[in-house]
Amino acid sequence: MIPGAPPPPTAMLNYILRRLGAGLLLLTVVTAVTFWIFYVLPRWAGVTPQGMAAMYVGKAPTPEALEATVERLGLDQPVAVQFVEFIRSILFGQEFTFGRETVECAAPCLGYSFTTNSPVLPQILDRLPVTMSLGLGAAVIWVVGGVSVGVLSAVKKGSIFDRLAMGTALIGVSLPIYFTGLLALSFLVHQWGLFPVSRYVPLTEDPVGWYQVMLLPWITLAFLHAAQYARQTRAGMLETLNEDYIRTARAKGLSERKVIFKHALRPTLTPIVTILGLDIGMVLGGAILTEKVFSLNGVGAYAIDSIVSKDLPVVLGVTLLGAVFIVVCNLIVDLLYPVVDPRVRLAK
Amino acid sequence: MRKRALGFVALGAAASLFLSACGGAATGGGGSDSDGSFDLGSTEVVNPSDKTGGTLKYAIAGDFDSTDPANTYYAFNWNFSRYYARTLLAFNPAPGEGATELIPDMAVDLPEPNDDFTEWTVKIQEGLKYEDGTEITAEDIKYGIARANFNGGVFTEGPQYFKAHLDQDDHNVYEGDDPLAGFDSIETPDDYTLVFHLKDSFSEFPNVLTQPQTAPVPIEADRGELYQEHVLSSGPYKFDGDYEPGVKLNLERNEHWDADTDAVRPALPDRIEVEIGVNQDEIDERLVSGELDVDLSGTGVGPAMHSRLLDDEAIQGNLDNPYTGALRYVNIHLPVIEDVACRQAIMYAADRDSMWRAWGGAEGGDIATNLLPPAIPGSDTESDLYPSADNKGDLDKAREKLEECGEDDGFKTNIAVRVEREKDVQTAEALQQALGEVGIEAEIKSFPSADFFGQYAGSQDYVRENNIGMSVSGWGPDWPTGYGFASKITHGDAIMETGNFNTSELDDPEVNGLWDEALKTEDPDERAEIYGRIDTLVMENAAILPVVFDKALMYRSDDLTNVYYTPAYMMYDFMAIGVDRD
Amino acid sequence: MSAPSQVPGSVEEADAADTAVTATEGRGDAANRSLRQIAWQRLRRDKVAMVSGVVVVLLILAALLAPLLTKWFGHPPTQFNQDLIDPSRRIPYLDPENPELGVDRWGGISSDHLLGVEPTTGRDLFSRILYGAQISLLVAFLATLVCVAIGTALGIIAGYMGGWVDTIISRAMDIFLAFPLVLFAIALVGVIPEGVMGLTGNGLRIGVIVFIIGFFNWPYIARIVRGQTLALREREFVEAAKSLGAGNGHILVKEILPNLVTPIIVYSTLLIPTNILFEAALSFLGVGINPPTPSWGKMLSEAVPFYQQAPYFIIFPGMAIFITVLAFNLFGDGLRDAFDPRTSD
Repeated sequence: MIPGAPPPPTAMLNYILRRLGAGLLLLTVVTAVTFWIFYVLPRWAGVTPQGMAAMYVGKAPTPEALEATVERLGLDQPVAVQFVEFIRSILFGQEFTFGRETVECAAPCLGYSFTTNSPVLPQILDRLPVTMSLGLGAAVIWVVGGVSVGVLSAVKKGSIFDRLAMGTALIGVSLPIYFTGLLALSFLVHQWGLFPVSRYVPLTEDPVGWYQVMLLPWITLAFLHAAQYARQTRAGMLETLNEDYIRTARAKGLSERKVIFKHALRPTLTPIVTILGLDIGMVLGGAILTEKVFSLNGVGAYAIDSIVSKDLPVVLGVTLLGAVFIVVCNLIVDLLYPVVDPRVRLAK
Repeated sequence: MRKRALGFVALGAAASLFLSACGGAATGGGGSDSDGSFDLGSTEVVNPSDKTGGTLKYAIAGDFDSTDPANTYYAFNWNFSRYYARTLLAFNPAPGEGATELIPDMAVDLPEPNDDFTEWTVKIQEGLKYEDGTEITAEDIKYGIARANFNGGVFTEGPQYFKAHLDQDDHNVYEGDDPLAGFDSIETPDDYTLVFHLKDSFSEFPNVLTQPQTAPVPIEADRGELYQEHVLSSGPYKFDGDYEPGVKLNLERNEHWDADTDAVRPALPDRIEVEIGVNQDEIDERLVSGELDVDLSGTGVGPAMHSRLLDDEAIQGNLDNPYTGALRYVNIHLPVIEDVACRQAIMYAADRDSMWRAWGGAEGGDIATNLLPPAIPGSDTESDLYPSADNKGDLDKAREKLEECGEDDGFKTNIAVRVEREKDVQTAEALQQALGEVGIEAEIKSFPSADFFGQYAGSQDYVRENNIGMSVSGWGPDWPTGYGFASKITHGDAIMETGNFNTSELDDPEVNGLWDEALKTEDPDERAEIYGRIDTLVMENAAILPVVFDKALMYRSDDLTNVYYTPAYMMYDFMAIGVDRD
Repeated sequence: MSAPSQVPGSVEEADAADTAVTATEGRGDAANRSLRQIAWQRLRRDKVAMVSGVVVVLLILAALLAPLLTKWFGHPPTQFNQDLIDPSRRIPYLDPENPELGVDRWGGISSDHLLGVEPTTGRDLFSRILYGAQISLLVAFLATLVCVAIGTALGIIAGYMGGWVDTIISRAMDIFLAFPLVLFAIALVGVIPEGVMGLTGNGLRIGVIVFIIGFFNWPYIARIVRGQTLALREREFVEAAKSLGAGNGHILVKEILPNLVTPIIVYSTLLIPTNILFEAALSFLGVGINPPTPSWGKMLSEAVPFYQQAPYFIIFPGMAIFITVLAFNLFGDGLRDAFDPRTSD
């Protein structure tokens, strides 16, 4: 590794603080908009608090049950009040009363589900390992696969391999995951029995079982993304291979392998890392379609279920978590730039 | 138990991408290498045994609506909660028609009414104990009922029969120092006697005493909504660890339960485990492979497994195909399609054969031509006020009726459906095709299940403002009588502004009067006759277009003993089942 | 969330855009014309692009002529043919005349029903796929228009004005890209009441979906436009206009915008397939137009209960989506390459 001169620590800190500030702003706006969509819009559309309460009241929607629910869930309060309450309980926690019992929900408190009366944050954390397994596993496959195919394609530009690889890549981006996923399930699992019908087991309990279950979802999800990485890598490589310093390196008599991996690939990786940050952020926020198709009980599936049952605290929690991942991943990516490409300096 | 018919949110919409309610199946009994023959479990005890031990494994695609007996309405939930929550009365633990008979559970005997069925007295056994060894008293039962019904809106899932019928002023057990101060509609003259005072005559009140809300809860154990995490057991099993919504519930034996006091629960397995939130296809696969024992939802295998089971000759003997107890139907909204002749035109034009196919043919259910399902006394499934050749609709009659209501060329209307319910949608599509034949142009409007009754089909304003003339729905009985099935969907008093399940808004004085008369009638046969008359009246009013009495295709594992279908819960009787893995 | 994870194809292209498709940078109309001529020549030589272009045209024609085509080759898309279906298994008979032969796992394809029939209802798949194309393309085109309108307006303002305006708009882009689109879409479709802006039924549903996709996907176009504008505003011809006293509005609309037409067209072409996928994903998740109007995503989700037993029903709507998206992608790629000044002839 060629160590770039490290930026002065204060500049670095400033940069990180600035980015965190921007991240917080983003989280606030995302939360506010989510709030607006779920709390304000229905009222504009003419839904009364009682109408909203009706969906949490089960089968005996007597007027007093509706009123009680409106009050219990705070549906009649001004949205601003509810929003402030929500933010406050994230920062400082909140107390909830159940019957005669008062329970402390410690910060960061995302409240209790409207439908199951269980605390939201632990429920999300329970499902996070599934989504993490899916997202990170698939990311490894798509990055390694995509980048190496891209490099090979660039080096052998115009060859049959290049054409096949780029053709496959285009097919990859054009296939919806709920189609490939269903096809894979239908043929690879049920018709031909190449993969087992099984359910998620945690890595910590049964690594082999975990691998077996996750393999097909990984491949399916990776296929979709790898294409883009292969194309990007190829384009980047072709561009850098034309640069003068590459010619210099070659002229110096460096081996082709060294030229490619040491000099050409690195600058190509910068945009790759950017996309990777965005993609991983997105996937960790819940790969809804993939989880749905492969019946993985992850954050994405939880998000969909909660939105279908209008379980607002859960919807807010999941949305916020998704945004947090995007912010964090982007920050990590930016911090990684100087490592990947020594020419980049962080702080201005 | 109507929740299962409604299905509501638990088997949420997204979930139903991959599981749609019930299936139908086999074209007939095939060969069998197992202990039964096709559909044997619907009428007989399969594999009778008193062998104890082993772990009985359940799984479910959705979840409990709550493990708290106060706060549940799913049939499977009621069936299952009996493991840890005893009730005053119970349904007779036997297959076939005998199951609708009531027997005492915690009670010593069936309750005694006064002359006009407004006061009921019941005695409970002495020496019943909770899992911690303390004794169960009449006051605990009183408190259990009070908290389930008078709680300031804390519990929203359970039925409200006690609230509706007890002669009780406003009350909230979670307000004030003494939760039961002023709660005098139930008296406990001693530790073993309960006297219920009702507002009006209610001849079917004993049925309500089978419901989980009659389970005892000591005041000091009540933790409001959090009580579901660990219910203090009065039955043969207690919670092993907390109930984790969406994840699991495990039960182990409760040493303080005494088998001699209990005629309902043989309690054969040593341990009971429930996996929650498992995909339906996976449940089905694991049922057939023997990894799992019972699908907790009791609604039968999903559509993917359905045709596989049908085509596998070797396992026909492991299949049961009983009624789920539900009627699938289309509400015809009276305030929107006001003229009865116009509604009758719809009844005539509907192609019932086509709609029935959406439910999966013969194994999916029977074509329904009346209101009350076959297992309900007073039902006459032969009656058909709107007959047609092959049930394909009588278009001539329909046109006649249209002329009668002055809409010779038909009219425009809308059908509301729940978007996630594939079979409901197909029912609407089939109806739309048939109505089109006589010029009734019905547009389908699809809405999310969660809001369907709260904001759309069950909202009086919405229905009127948007010309929603029909909606596709389903209903199952709270207990197996005409009242337990149909009063909530046809009694004028049940009409609500929002969350309206009498979605047709039928408010017919004659029908209402008959319901009230039934509740004053002691003889069950006479009541059945009244229910039959209500059935006919509802059909004459053309308020409800019946579609199918649906059936489930259930896989019965060879590892199970004492398996039978109970019409009381419209699924296997969980209390009876044992395991014997040889 | 994973719908956006379908999208980033365009993020990458957006990044590439700053360098790739360069605007024609005020070389005047003559220069413009000649560049377009060069591009057209290149495009004509690109066989893949030409073939996919033809496919795109054919798809659009097929969607437009769906009523005619189904009249000749199919059946009305909502007509039931339940005599073809085994009621218990809900899939087509091998031979409707002889039900005892069992069911056809490959969908009842016959000369009468070119792609077979749907389970349960027996509706003709060929005509449903054709009619599905109408919805799919209509939504994708309209949504792309909305993206382009918002994206161009904001992108050009951000790029030209710079400073705090740029900062705000760029932040907004980040924020929009962080939204869980799929979740919002589901919520919004459920919330918007009938009769808004005079729309009801399917008109309303299409309107809502177009709005959601357009409203949340505009940053992809905005980024490109902003980048191009940044480069353009430094050019002499802009300076010249300024010194002649032209107002900002004039410069934006008359001087800069015409130079952005080419990249906008190219990237719109690449946004269309993204939007097709997005519409299909939404209707797959049950957020879409009312039944019985066919849509590809909905057809796929209706096939799910049968995926073990009768995979054929997944294949046709899935392939329809795939072919359409691929054709647009290939054509858009070709278009971009053709306009890329760095591509050597």
